[in-house]
Amino acid sequence: MEFTAKKGTIFFQKELSALDKLVLEFAGTLKAAKIDYVIISGYVAILFGRSRETEDVDLFVEEMPLEKFLAFWNALYEAGFECINESNPSDAYGDYLKEKLAPRFAPKGKIIPNFEVKFPKTAYNNYALKNKVKVALNQQEINISEIELQIAFKLKLGSEKDFEDARHLYNVFKDSLDTRLLENQVKALGVEKQAERILWRKKALS
Amino acid sequence: MEKKGLVLTKKDLLELKEEKKRNFEARLEFIDLYCEWLKKTPNKVWSRQQNSLSSRA
Repeated sequence: MEFTAKKGTIFFQKELSALDKLVLEFAGTLKAAKIDYVIISGYVAILFGRSRETEDVDLFVEEMPLEKFLAFWNALYEAGFECINESNPSDAYGDYLKEKLAPRFAPKGKIIPNFEVKFPKTAYNNYALKNKVKVALNQQEINISEIELQIAFKLKLGSEKDFEDARHLYNVFKDSLDTRLLENQVKALGVEKQAERILWRKKALS
Repeated sequence: MEKKGLVLTKKDLLELKEEKKRNFEARLEFIDLYCEWLKKTPNKVWSRQQNSLSSRA
């Protein structure tokens, strides 16, 4: 795997999957609408080679007034996406986003994969958005979660799939990770024991 | 005749638990092996292989 990391940007070229292309399209709509966002969770591991599928791409978008959200909603529909769990944009804003729930957007006529959009509501969410990392993927751009945070958060989520994602990211980025930052993120999320089992020890559970 | 389904003893359940643990360890070992391969393989090659996996789904 070849990538270079420079000043908060990971430069990266690969053969794009259908999911990558869809993510770039969704991210392009966000960028055109001047909406700050960060992609978190499973897609980050998949982007960097993890051999699994996902049915949704989770992201936080900056908290915004209704008018801006309506313009974004219209731009998404023009780009060929639709909201699959709410047809009224004002309700998607008031009953979902404002209530810490996520409207989901999928390509028209499809249900998966879909984009699960949330406003940042916790210290973790806000940190993720503020400290996002740019990925220059085949000359296009997406924002993903800081890798150190992503690994620690996967340990926090705690399913076997999440542990595997954490181990994958740790292995792939081992040589370029900020070890002290990773240790701090692990401590902040209270997942020291999981880190010991999944990251630091060579034999996982023996 | 009515199907009874599985009847498991405590020992059987313990064995299942051990099997789950072994499977997870094997998955993690595979991830290590896969990542070693990934790191020394050109992006064009591994991403094509990853794409062929998703296009089969």
